[in-house]
Amino acid sequence: MNDLCIRMEGVSKRYPHFLLDSICLELREGEVLGFIGANGAGKSTTIRILMGLVRQDTGSVQVLGHPMPAEQTAAKLDIGFVSEDLRLYGAPTLAWHMKFVASMYPRWDQAYADKLLQRFDLKPQQKIKGLSHGQRVKAALLLALARQPRLLILDEPTTGLDPVARREVLGELMSVLTDEGRTIFFSSHNTLEVEQISDHIAFIDRGRLIAHDEKESLLERWRRVRLVVPPSTALPLLPGIVEVAGTERLPVLTTSQFDPDVVSLCQNRGVTVQAVDSMTLEEIFVANVQSRRELQPA
Amino acid sequence: MNRQRMNYAVVRQLILKDWYLNRGVILGSIPVGLVALAIVLTGKPVAFMLCVILLCMVIVGVGAQLAFVTTINERKEQTLAFVMSLPVSWREYTAAKILANLIIFLIPWLPLTAGALGLLLLPGATHGLVPFTAIMALEMLITTSIIVTAGIITESQAWTTAGIFLSSLGINLGGYIFAHLPGISNYMWGTRVYWSPTALIVLICELLTVPLLLGATFFVQSRKTDFL
Repeated sequence: MNDLCIRMEGVSKRYPHFLLDSICLELREGEVLGFIGANGAGKSTTIRILMGLVRQDTGSVQVLGHPMPAEQTAAKLDIGFVSEDLRLYGAPTLAWHMKFVASMYPRWDQAYADKLLQRFDLKPQQKIKGLSHGQRVKAALLLALARQPRLLILDEPTTGLDPVARREVLGELMSVLTDEGRTIFFSSHNTLEVEQISDHIAFIDRGRLIAHDEKESLLERWRRVRLVVPPSTALPLLPGIVEVAGTERLPVLTTSQFDPDVVSLCQNRGVTVQAVDSMTLEEIFVANVQSRRELQPA
Repeated sequence: MNRQRMNYAVVRQLILKDWYLNRGVILGSIPVGLVALAIVLTGKPVAFMLCVILLCMVIVGVGAQLAFVTTINERKEQTLAFVMSLPVSWREYTAAKILANLIIFLIPWLPLTAGALGLLLLPGATHGLVPFTAIMALEMLITTSIIVTAGIITESQAWTTAGIFLSSLGINLGGYIFAHLPGISNYMWGTRVYWSPTALIVLICELLTVPLLLGATFFVQSRKTDFL
């Protein structure tokens, strides 16, 4: 139970203008990790290393117990991969793609593939070049899911989709989650989507992993505290403050280590706590990135 | 590095995939090549030259088209990510690309070369041209190997186009040089087939060049670390 599906230890990869720096990441079986980062943060490089398509300069990578990239073939037998920049062949039909993928996966589930065809409203005899972008993403997702992967790696799969197609894709991902053995590594810069389906969150910025935690814990710890500070009263020193906004008298503090005791601590110092607001994942991500960037300018 | 064994079933599937994607062009090239050969049968003086030009165009064109579609386009059109998401290693992918290009190219090359040689062996034909024609046919196989090598190793449209350009020039240059080697030119226009030592050496060198080029391609690709 809860075996490690992904284990990255001190993984670095240097490019002329980018460094993926000492990434350490673990993902257990059955977990859904939302991997959030801005464009160019290192999400795709991390995923390419996980898929064995790029060899790390240093560090070790294990996917489903296989060292990568050495045993990428064995690992990929149990991985379903959908990426924003993955395209199917234009001229052949979806049926041809299904047959081609099925020929490489002994566990290919044709009944499930047929079910997904109906659910996604896809026609197997349709040529890929005749499909809309949304239909192509759904076709790629079908090909990834019907191979019955233990690990799903999704790299911005919903980018460019219209709201209906996005809902359908996310809906299918949610239904996949009912299978507790299925592990998902979901990369996106759309925090709303990530928040919907993930139970663990990792933030990456400028090639560094800046946070990795359970979603609930992350959402619980981050708060925006609105205070009223009387004149001649000093702002109390609160733990985990990453940002102070507002005015001197009406400061708004963003903390990454919120504790309910903070309220009484403030009141004891004569400071009124006007409100304690929970934060969305997007707000947490942005605050986290900005505070790190202030500490470590590029 | 711990290398997994080559999965030949996967390599076979990848070759079949490339055949499926290119079968139209390849099968279409055979009748065009046969028409080129048929032109010779008209017996007109200009027919021989026209046949040679058409045959060269068809064979070199097929090789260039194959290399482009199977290597450059796969990266350009981002279908490489799809293939590499499958249980395929880079070695298997490279082996499949080399073999697919070679095998698929041989599908039109073999009947057209056999047809050209067969025509030269017809009564009344210039039988002495057989060795030279065989040499030129192998040179076209080398040309395709060069284009495939450029396509697979550089994955660049510009370099592959340069490869096509240079190897096409090489056909003309090679043809000129071989046609002027005494060991070939002295027997070229004779009425019987004569495999001179010079012709045999050239043929053997050409035959060795093909696996050497493709083997070097496999070696270079096997050492790459980043594929996407």
